[in-house]
Amino acid sequence: MNLLDVLILIPAIGFFIALIIPRAMENAIKMLALIFSLVSFVVSLGLAYGYRTGQSGLQYMTDFVWIQNPEIHYHVGVDGLSLWLIVLSTFLTPIAILISWNYIHNRVKEFFAFLLLLEFGLVGVFSAWDLFLFYVFWEVVLVPMYFLIGIWGHDRRIYAAVKFFLYTMAGSVLMLVAITFLYIHAGTFDYATILAQLQSGKLALSHLQETLLFLAFFIAFAIKVPLFPLHTWLPDAHVEAPSAGSVMLASVMLKMGTYGLVRFCLPMFPTAAHENAPWISILAIIGIVYGAAVAMVQPNMKKLVAYSSVSHLGFVVLGIFSFTQLGLDGAVYIMLAHGISTGALFALVGFLYERRHSLAISDYGGIATVAPWFATMFLITTFASIGLPMLSNFVGEFLVLQGTAQSNFAYTSFAALGVILSACYMLWMYQRVFFGETNEEVKHHVYDFNLREWACVIPLVAVMVWMGIFTQTFLPPVSESNDKILTQIRMSADLKAATHSPVASLKVGANTNAH
Amino acid sequence: MPTSFYPSADDLLRFSPELILSFAGTLLMVLDPFFRHIQGKPAPRIFGHLTIAAFIAAIFGAIAANAVPGSSFSNLLIVDGYATFFRVLVLTIGILAVLISYRYLAKEVAETSEYHALLLFSVAGQCLMVAANDLIMIFIGLEISSIATYILAGYLRNDKRNNEAALKYFLLGSFATGFLLYGVSIVYGITGTTKLDEIRTALSNPGLSLVAVSIAAALIIVGLGFKVSGAPFQMWAPDVYQGAPAPVSVFMATAPKAAAFAVFVRVFMTSFQQIATGWEPLIWISALLSMTIGNFAALTQTNLKRMLAYSSIAHAGYILVALAAKSELGTAAVMFYLAAYALMNIGAFAVVIHIAGKGERHLRIDDLAGLAQKQPLTAALMTVFVLSFIGVPLTGGFFGKFYIFRAAVESDLIWLAVLGLLNSAVAAYYYLRLLVVMYMHEPGEAVQALEPMSAGLDIALVLSAVGTFILGVLPGAVLNFARNSASLGR
Amino acid sequence: MHKLWLIPALPFLGFLINGIFGRKLPKLIINAIAVGSVALSFIWVLLVASGCDWGAIPLRAQYFTWIKSGPFEVGWDYSIDKLTVIMLMIVTGVGSLIHVYATAYMEHEEGYYRFFAYLNLFMFFMLNLVLAGNYLILFVGWEGVGLCSYLLIGFYFVKKSATTAGNKAFIVNRIGDFGFSLAMFLIVINFGTLDFRRVFAAAPGKPVEILTAIALLTLFGACGKSAQIPLYVWLPDAMEGPTPVSALIHAATMVTAGVYLCCRSAAIFMHAPVAMETVALIGLATAVMAATIGLTQFDIKKVFAYSTVSQLGYMFLGVGVGAFSAGIWHLMTHAFFKALLFLGAGSVIHACHGEQDMRHMGGLKKYTPWTMMVLACASLAIAGFPGTSGFFSKDAILTAAYAHAPWMFWVGVITAGMTAFYVWRAFWMTFFGEYKGHGHPHESSWVMLAPLVVLAVLSLAGGFLFNVPKMLEGMFPLAEEVPGEGTLMGISIAAGLIGIALSYYMYVVNTTLPAKITSALGGVYTLVSNKYFVDEAYDAAIVTPLVEGSTAVLWHGVDQGVIDGFVNNVGYQSKGIGDILKRIQSGNIRSYATWVVLGSVALLIVMGFVKGLPQ
Repeated sequence: MNLLDVLILIPAIGFFIALIIPRAMENAIKMLALIFSLVSFVVSLGLAYGYRTGQSGLQYMTDFVWIQNPEIHYHVGVDGLSLWLIVLSTFLTPIAILISWNYIHNRVKEFFAFLLLLEFGLVGVFSAWDLFLFYVFWEVVLVPMYFLIGIWGHDRRIYAAVKFFLYTMAGSVLMLVAITFLYIHAGTFDYATILAQLQSGKLALSHLQETLLFLAFFIAFAIKVPLFPLHTWLPDAHVEAPSAGSVMLASVMLKMGTYGLVRFCLPMFPTAAHENAPWISILAIIGIVYGAAVAMVQPNMKKLVAYSSVSHLGFVVLGIFSFTQLGLDGAVYIMLAHGISTGALFALVGFLYERRHSLAISDYGGIATVAPWFATMFLITTFASIGLPMLSNFVGEFLVLQGTAQSNFAYTSFAALGVILSACYMLWMYQRVFFGETNEEVKHHVYDFNLREWACVIPLVAVMVWMGIFTQTFLPPVSESNDKILTQIRMSADLKAATHSPVASLKVGANTNAH
Repeated sequence: MPTSFYPSADDLLRFSPELILSFAGTLLMVLDPFFRHIQGKPAPRIFGHLTIAAFIAAIFGAIAANAVPGSSFSNLLIVDGYATFFRVLVLTIGILAVLISYRYLAKEVAETSEYHALLLFSVAGQCLMVAANDLIMIFIGLEISSIATYILAGYLRNDKRNNEAALKYFLLGSFATGFLLYGVSIVYGITGTTKLDEIRTALSNPGLSLVAVSIAAALIIVGLGFKVSGAPFQMWAPDVYQGAPAPVSVFMATAPKAAAFAVFVRVFMTSFQQIATGWEPLIWISALLSMTIGNFAALTQTNLKRMLAYSSIAHAGYILVALAAKSELGTAAVMFYLAAYALMNIGAFAVVIHIAGKGERHLRIDDLAGLAQKQPLTAALMTVFVLSFIGVPLTGGFFGKFYIFRAAVESDLIWLAVLGLLNSAVAAYYYLRLLVVMYMHEPGEAVQALEPMSAGLDIALVLSAVGTFILGVLPGAVLNFARNSASLGR
Repeated sequence: MHKLWLIPALPFLGFLINGIFGRKLPKLIINAIAVGSVALSFIWVLLVASGCDWGAIPLRAQYFTWIKSGPFEVGWDYSIDKLTVIMLMIVTGVGSLIHVYATAYMEHEEGYYRFFAYLNLFMFFMLNLVLAGNYLILFVGWEGVGLCSYLLIGFYFVKKSATTAGNKAFIVNRIGDFGFSLAMFLIVINFGTLDFRRVFAAAPGKPVEILTAIALLTLFGACGKSAQIPLYVWLPDAMEGPTPVSALIHAATMVTAGVYLCCRSAAIFMHAPVAMETVALIGLATAVMAATIGLTQFDIKKVFAYSTVSQLGYMFLGVGVGAFSAGIWHLMTHAFFKALLFLGAGSVIHACHGEQDMRHMGGLKKYTPWTMMVLACASLAIAGFPGTSGFFSKDAILTAAYAHAPWMFWVGVITAGMTAFYVWRAFWMTFFGEYKGHGHPHESSWVMLAPLVVLAVLSLAGGFLFNVPKMLEGMFPLAEEVPGEGTLMGISIAAGLIGIALSYYMYVVNTTLPAKITSALGGVYTLVSNKYFVDEAYDAAIVTPLVEGSTAVLWHGVDQGVIDGFVNNVGYQSKGIGDILKRIQSGNIRSYATWVVLGSVALLIVMGFVKGLPQ
């Protein structure tokens, strides 16, 4: 029973307690949710504090048989890749709870219970080390989010919720088949073992098999990311979801997809990954530019941010499939940075909605006059997401583009266009919402932060700045495990086909980033 | 062994569930008049209580029988883990069926003993089927079970829908049974035996016309396929399930189905294994058809019972996938899935019965509207069942599906697994509608008029929910039992 | 250790204090903090500069690892060499003066504290840019000053034109940064590092085409910051910002960052002749084009804005022809006289109660004598009047241009003439004739005038005081001797004087002449006075298609039409199948029986033929 198990348990316990408490005692439920989420955040900090770089293998590892036949393990652990994603989840949950404090009026009990259940699933997804367990958590996350969107969402919430559920479901069933296939041939769900067998050639896949398995996993993840053209569930889900839902969705759930790509697709199917990298990268680049271009013309703030996510996540995928240290590190860093900045954007937009009850950009204007601090914090967040140096996103985007440049310079020069466009859509929105004459509605309804809102905003902004400057707090463990993954890829790649052209390009990528 | 006319003690023990049930049934009929005379009192629940007692006793009988496994009555019956598993299953279904019937019968003012007696007889027949080692025995058991069910389907005799359902079920049922008998007779004609294991040995010696055997197998598939409502013989199911009284529909959708599947698997895994290559395509074709027809037809249904009827066709399809795997793993999967499916289906129907009210007035899906606000607990339990239908992890339904498709993949039916899982994604759509109306719509008049849960329904609900949950979180015990008792025809 | 970090840290501290508590603080303390922090860092610069012996230079200070990924590492490094010192002095020195001026100029403005917070933040980033020891830290400053210019241009955020100008500035700069970042990526790929020392040390060994590519991309970035063709369009609009901002950011310091970058990367440029040529050509073209536009403007700040663009063009010309130190020299003198011009203009605008159109000024000489005098100094300097600071630097550039290609010299000279003309045109229009404005003009307070006087002195004597080429000796190759340098000098002086004289004739003596000429030129004039319709062209060619396309094609077309259309259609079709199945379900027993029979037949057939029987 180590720290990680505790961390996984806490939200679950909180969930069940929340179910027991009579629904009349709303404040009690809120407090409970808040306390549990805060505790798990503290615990996750302990996790990060106790994490040691320079050690091989998982840390905080627990492994016991859950079900004998088929042998399914409760096998969890943390490595550099999952560490900060777990912290991200636990960091954002209390914030999500706080921003919903007064926003949720009906069925308070269910709402906060679902948030805790969501946290449970998220922590689980990022720490599962058994493919079956991973799939279980992967699906568990689906349910609370479905209800969050469907019950507490806006007008078209039902359409959005069902769309969200079905999209993901369609992808994950393929993954289930792939997992089953691997189990049958490897005789285990244990990821480490399967990986070892794949690399040692003990579990030899035919070229076709590998490609199909890769695609099965890839599609499941690509839908979650979401990668163009599988992204259309996202704008709907974001726009309709309550702000807490949007925050968790954008900040953490999308990362499940990219995490899966790095964790599973690359190490297990290196050859297939390489062969398919070109069109995937191109889709990612299309996503970057396309998402930004569409975001630019959105009349609805949440939709705008949603499409911007499509663009940002494009960078992540691009970095992942550059097969370079910098690309992968950058990708992970964007995952975290985007989690913070976009989370903050959705939270702030949510605050605006609570005040003015509209998401339409045209309903706002001149907020800077009536709520200067609001404007300031939104500005910082805006520039963070534009990728201004010394704020969170820049580091990631720089590393991704640099890494991609090492493997294919053309990709970089197209992807970098996204950086220009991001400035366009964010600044145009900011101008229309915060600058200009203050219209009557805004004058009457929009006011500056209250204490609770400050409590949400300050941590977020602080982390943005921290991540922008002291990247070494986060990067070393990430680099370490990415390096491990890359070596794994190279090993099996060499094993598979020494003369393979993409593999060769990988070698180039590997060498050029040496001094 | 020398067969003597007098059954040994073991024989009787191995036969005990059937004995207990039939005795209890008869007893009920006899007792009926005495209880009928009590006037002005609330109609007696005693029948139900007795029935449950009988079922429980039978379960003990079955378990005791399992302690002395082996064949009895000169190898007409065989008591093995497999038989016991299904006996316990159908008996449990019987208990749940009674539980969800109390309030229903009270509402319809039809608390007669026949209802319960018929339940007992039907289950007795099914117990016989699952333990039978002889085609004739199977046929007898099938008929006992079916005839009882025919009557149950039309139980509320002055309700038109009931009568229509009963008539359809009876006519088509007997029609299909004809095919079954045909098959049986051909097999007997060729092999000179009706005992499953002997057929197996007979087929293994060369020089007898496998063509004819295959034809026989096909005919038997038709007969059993009808009973399990697998396409293309599923036509009757929607009409009958919709028309019959709700508790009966769910009973029909679970117990006889489970028994029929048990027989299906036993016959084909024991007797016809040599010609598996012959019948396998028929099975997966039927599986594919059932899944697709069931799910797609369910998409547009507005009536709860009818939708669940189609969904039960789809689920029959999934189970057929496991049979198509024709492996022990597949057999185990069938067993597990049937258990899980029975629980979730009964649970769901319990909610339907609760909503429907007297005379089953509220059967539209929209009648669930706002249930989550009126009776959150009921809605929550219903959610468990729906998620299990969809196959979301931590529910029995998920493990059942996983087990089935694992068996399929292991037998290189990957494409079938993929199609099946995509099907379940389609299914998710109409199951989600239940959640949508329950949680995301404002309470409708059906829910407004809702009275609190009755004890019987509550118990049934909680039991099936807990069961579904356990099968999802800690399926180990059941899985192992299934795996260990899946080795047929050894 | 020289505590280099103190130089940017001080203004940053000022920014924090004013930014967070400013609203509550009295003006006096805000001033103290804002001006004090910058002044202190100016003093610190002087200390550092005097403290370190020029042999030991460049000094380096490495603070912490900023980014490390695999073998790639970027530290937060500062380094100073002679070039840096000069830049530091310009930035902090001129910066302090402008801060002082601003305290008076902004006195009655809303969000006083905000203004100074931004200004200090700008100083921080600018100093970071100059001190940077590697490209990425430089890029931090580079982007940061962009942010501040965005904030300060849009300082009057209620005015749409102001915020739009802010956006334009930032976005156009982003376009430039696109090039700059690509340059950095290439550098990392080929050099494995972004550290200046290592890169420049390795540069000579690298293939020319690589260096050329890097240099050209860098140049593209520089064009963004330093408002060169094709990215100069943002600078004129940037005049929406308060005048001190125009002086500090859009004249003296930030816009020269591009020139600084090129000089900083001299090691790369010098080995990429093609790139050098491009730099020179872009510089020259920009100089001419901006100058011509300058001739036709009536908004006093616009005139100076275009003049800035034009002068920056000069600097690039200098860099392009290899006279880096001349470029830096002009950068410095320009900082003096152009800052002065803007501040003077500010004072004039103040005097005329916010009026910026020169046609509504005139005759101010009797109201604002001091302002007139200082402006006269600045105008002389920019006109290259012998002995003034502008004279030296401009001459250095032109000479080098001649050495490189005589025709460039001639074009440069003509530009010089035009410059002299339009600056003095502004001068005459403002101070001579009689007052055509409203209200009663008044001279500005001494707080505003004092910095002007200092700058005036520098504009006049700057050339003598700081002989940049000498200072930079050893860093850059000295401009080679050109035969007949004297004549060239004479020509450029003449050009300046002619320009002045001509403007005097047209705007003081014969004031009806300009109108005649205008009408005579007709189309040409409209073209020029509308800035060659470049903005309009960009809008039509890029912005509109982008927005329209994204809306119609991408969003409504692809996203909602194709993709979602497909997705929803799948659902719709499935329902359709469901309906068909429903219809088969007739409810009629006989038909069901038939189905059973058909089904069984089908099964038998399958069994017989499709799969085939065993054995």
